[in-house]
Amino acid sequence: MHDVGYIIAGYAATAVGIVGYRWRLAARSRRATSLIRAAAGRRAAGTSR
Amino acid sequence: MKIVQTALAKAGSRGAQRILGWASVAGLTVAGVLALFVVPPDATQGDVARLLYVHVPSAWLAFGSFGVVFLASIAYLRTKRTRWDRVAVSSAEIGVLFCVLTIVLGSLWGRPVWGTWWTWDPRLTTTAVLLLIYIGYLTLRRVSESPTRRAHWSAVIGIVGFVDVPITHESVTWWRSLHQGPTVLQLGTPTIAPSMLATLMFSLVVFTVVYGYLMAVRMRVGRLEDRASSTVVSSPAPRTRAPRPVASVGTPGGGDDA
Repeated sequence: MHDVGYIIAGYAATAVGIVGYRWRLAARSRRATSLIRAAAGRRAAGTSR
Repeated sequence: MKIVQTALAKAGSRGAQRILGWASVAGLTVAGVLALFVVPPDATQGDVARLLYVHVPSAWLAFGSFGVVFLASIAYLRTKRTRWDRVAVSSAEIGVLFCVLTIVLGSLWGRPVWGTWWTWDPRLTTTAVLLLIYIGYLTLRRVSESPTRRAHWSAVIGIVGFVDVPITHESVTWWRSLHQGPTVLQLGTPTIAPSMLATLMFSLVVFTVVYGYLMAVRMRVGRLEDRASSTVVSSPAPRTRAPRPVASVGTPGGGDDA
């Protein structure tokens, strides 16, 4: 019965590791996209002046 | 080289990423059900041996990821193409994740079986060294200012650091070790029950699909971050507050030569 705790912890750690990394990649993707959009907006504003 | 480039381009498409993502979710679910509810417990270790089906694939993926870093680093030094540097850093990140998981899962397995969370056993020590090497690889990318120099020295570390992978793998046969020896990759027949071996092989395949998925996503994020860095450099100064710059361990030149 005691073993169940180690098994649950192991499988939970695996899931958290994979999902957490995927979540972090999504956040990095959003940040890079917003930066590109902001720069494109600035460039457009700069050329229209 | 051409075949690898075509495979990378195909895996990088949004459709392929979606398929890989769903295949990973389905595969992990089936592997989890098989490992936790279908396969019988180990004759000597009992239920705790079920950690085998995540510990071994994690180690396999860590070794495989560092193998990709090694190959991509050689390709970068030969061709100086940004794409290979991006492949190397993407694979190193994923390798570090799975190396951490390998150590955590091994520790969780070791506590009930060996009676300790950690011991300076050759296999455990060489795995910890391996993790430190690739953490150093990723750290170097953050501190180096010149993108070309960063890619060059990262490639050198990616090649030299790989030396520890075969040492880690063979450590259980070269030295007296608390860690069990090879049960699958050994001469003659594997000393593991057929149902356990089948589940382990299935988990290895599923984890490899997960690696393919994470690589495809990480490569896309790398391209975006490189584009963002080059856009920030080339665009005029902002009049209002711009979003925080991307903290990237990205690739030289910022261009996408995909």
